[in-house]
Amino acid sequence: MEKVALKDSGYRLKKAKILHTKKMTANEKFFEIALRENSPLDHEPGQFIMVSLPGIGEVPISVCSSPVKRDSFDLCVRAVGKVTRSLHKLKAGDEIDIRGPYGKGFPIRILEGNDLLIIAGGLGIAPLRSLITYILDNRRDFGKVHILFGCKEPKEMLFGDELEDWNKRTDLHYACTVDRADPDWAGNVGVITTLIPGVDIDPIRTFAAVVGPPIMYNFVIKELLAKGIPENQILLSFERNMKCGNGKCGRCQIQNLYVCQDGPVFHYERIKNLSEAF
Amino acid sequence: MKKPKVGIFDFACCEGCQLQIANMGEDVLSVLGSIDVLEWREVMSEKWGKKLDIAIIEGSITDPHAVKRIKQIRKKAKILIAIGSCATIGGVNGMKNNFGLDDIRKYVYGDSYRFFPTELTKAVHQVVKVDYFVHGCPMYIPEFVALIKAALQGIPYYPPDYPVCVECKLNENVCMYDRQVTCLGPVTRAGCNSWCINNGNICYGCRGMVSNPNEKGAQDVLAKYNIPMELILNKMNMYNKCRELT
Amino acid sequence: MEDMQYVILKKERFNDFISRLSKMQKLIAPVSKGYNNFAFEEVSSGSDIALKYIPTVLPLKKFFMPQRETLLEFKMAKGADAEAVVELEPMTIFGAHTCDLAGIQCLNMVFSERPKDYNYLTRKNRITLIGLECNEYCDEYASCHLVNASFPGGGYDLFFTDLGDYFIVHVKTQIGDEIVDVTGFFEKADVSHMNDLERLRDHKRKVFSNEVPIESKKLPELFDKSFRARVWKDLDERCLACGNCTNVCPSCYCFDIRDELDLSLKNGVRFRIWDSCQLEPFARVAGGINFRKERSARQRHRYYRKFRYSVDRFSRFFCTGCGRCTRTCMAGISLKETLNELIKESEDRVWKKWL
Repeated sequence: MEKVALKDSGYRLKKAKILHTKKMTANEKFFEIALRENSPLDHEPGQFIMVSLPGIGEVPISVCSSPVKRDSFDLCVRAVGKVTRSLHKLKAGDEIDIRGPYGKGFPIRILEGNDLLIIAGGLGIAPLRSLITYILDNRRDFGKVHILFGCKEPKEMLFGDELEDWNKRTDLHYACTVDRADPDWAGNVGVITTLIPGVDIDPIRTFAAVVGPPIMYNFVIKELLAKGIPENQILLSFERNMKCGNGKCGRCQIQNLYVCQDGPVFHYERIKNLSEAF
Repeated sequence: MKKPKVGIFDFACCEGCQLQIANMGEDVLSVLGSIDVLEWREVMSEKWGKKLDIAIIEGSITDPHAVKRIKQIRKKAKILIAIGSCATIGGVNGMKNNFGLDDIRKYVYGDSYRFFPTELTKAVHQVVKVDYFVHGCPMYIPEFVALIKAALQGIPYYPPDYPVCVECKLNENVCMYDRQVTCLGPVTRAGCNSWCINNGNICYGCRGMVSNPNEKGAQDVLAKYNIPMELILNKMNMYNKCRELT
Repeated sequence: MEDMQYVILKKERFNDFISRLSKMQKLIAPVSKGYNNFAFEEVSSGSDIALKYIPTVLPLKKFFMPQRETLLEFKMAKGADAEAVVELEPMTIFGAHTCDLAGIQCLNMVFSERPKDYNYLTRKNRITLIGLECNEYCDEYASCHLVNASFPGGGYDLFFTDLGDYFIVHVKTQIGDEIVDVTGFFEKADVSHMNDLERLRDHKRKVFSNEVPIESKKLPELFDKSFRARVWKDLDERCLACGNCTNVCPSCYCFDIRDELDLSLKNGVRFRIWDSCQLEPFARVAGGINFRKERSARQRHRYYRKFRYSVDRFSRFFCTGCGRCTRTCMAGISLKETLNELIKESEDRVWKKWL
């Protein structure tokens, strides 16, 4: 058996360096990462990359920073498996390898000029932070912006400082809720769907961008449709177990679609009849 | 990197899995190059008795003395690895649990049986916490090597949770059922590269059962081949009797 | 080239041809494993080869996408770049049936769809393919006619048809032509040989017919109506989730990617290995949610990948009718029976509408 270098390989890795890390919650850690020579990742909000720790493995992670930031990019990693737990042990100065970006993110060009209703559940805030920060970097290009955020408990809240900033801004509307309050919590209590009826939108010119745990989607979609938002203006991002990112390995398939190539962001209209999606 | 301190200990077993390590050939030198073996009764006379990074355990726990000893080893070891069916699932020693304990003692020790306390056979994890499992009778060396590497890297090792048939088919073996022979491959956890079947033998179920077997489907298959349920259960019990203990 | 398209090889020269071929580069052909099991293995003489064989345990994909294939080599030292590699072994495969040639055509489409997989594409071009016609059905499990794979449909360099005393050989490519030239055992085919071939094909047209009572072009439509069919629930009770059906399938290509270090923990490789959508952990994400937890959903997925999704993506069925999934299934899950059930269920639905 002959082994030959393959320069066109879809599995080639790019070296990257961790610039900065921050423990966010018991399970989530924030990483700021730069490619070699600070070359831009050149992603779209909503896309993901494959993060490698050679010798341990590779996992798909959403990019959570705006592509306007060109020198580096951010990841928010939840420790759930072998690779992500090992990632949590890394610190500034350590190296990782990446591939990507992969997939179709949020259709920015279509969203421009329209109003946006952004709904994030738990870790769903990570890919949406990429979209939100992009919008804030280009604020005048978008219409009204509503951000609804929900998580189980206050201590699981990610990007707390930034949420606080969004809450203070006058050019967007922000609301959040927790499923279970703790003694220090003074805000809304209840699942995220309870926030939707109170949002004042013009449904015909509003696009909804929704990312959260699978269980959230059916309930949120029902509320959005009740609000009168058309099906092709509801955008959802799906989490699946991507291994190759190239639409081959089959792990992320939802019926005839490959989440890694056809998604992870889909128009609800396109997938509403795919029972494996929900 | 400082070499991890390792001890290898045996309980009720045939010591065949340790023999597998000793017989590894070149790989054993590479393994020994990355670890420091401080205690290993089968091949060295030194005793260590102090803290260990890794304790490797062969054999099942069958009497009060063994319970005490394994608890002491657990206290001294950062990582505990169970090797071989006796340690991981109870193995053939589990057949003891088919009988009354006093009957067993009388049969083995005769009149003086009272001097030999005993217990139901248990797998190691049924007594103390086990960090890594290398299943098999004897254990499959490539899996042991993979697991040692995982332990040294500090990452988990998951044995496959699908039946031996998967690996057997990939090896293009003629199915034992095509040869009119019963085989436990369909319900036994893979990871051995269908070692026995590759060599013309059947699968005896030494690696334990897959975690979510389709029992109804398996019964249909037995019926299709006219195999009585009891026969299969007896075969299963040869290695898997201890699964009844919680 | 045009008039050279057909040549013949007399049977008495077959062994010499195979010996010569095996000396040119590694030669693979079907061999008997006993108990009516066959496998593609390396051969060096014609007598090793089973000319009459039912589909091998594993299909040809094992040479095109090996069970385990290195993708990257890396060093653990800081700053060291991983190197992307492809493992290659030039070989000739003799004796591929039309169902298996169809399987390779399926894989070619998958791996040349963007983003292209150059590991596969580079390897594929080092493999010479020689087909062998099935004059009769191999057994009752095959359904090759239904999926348009019972007659040669390309995908080979040379194609052999056994016509009694001799083989007639279709020379399709320059590589095939070179084999004919270099080995030197072939003769030009004349009209009588072509007539013999035509007679065999006529006979086949009588013997081979759709194995399931449905027009092939109606299959996608049948599947459109069958996502919630009862038969999937029935398979849920029977399937042992052993993954044999996908491992033996000529057009299944799902894989897992893993890393492995050497014992020094200083060097490692990333490799891909065959995986199966039938195994429980396949669609499970790290958080623990399994998107195809039920065996019924996994079996249904397999059938839809063969008869529906591939039609959207590649305009062809990814079932090649080889019958391996049925032959290998311990639980006796039969592709033909499943299709029959789906047809029956959909007819029942039509009746119910009228009643």
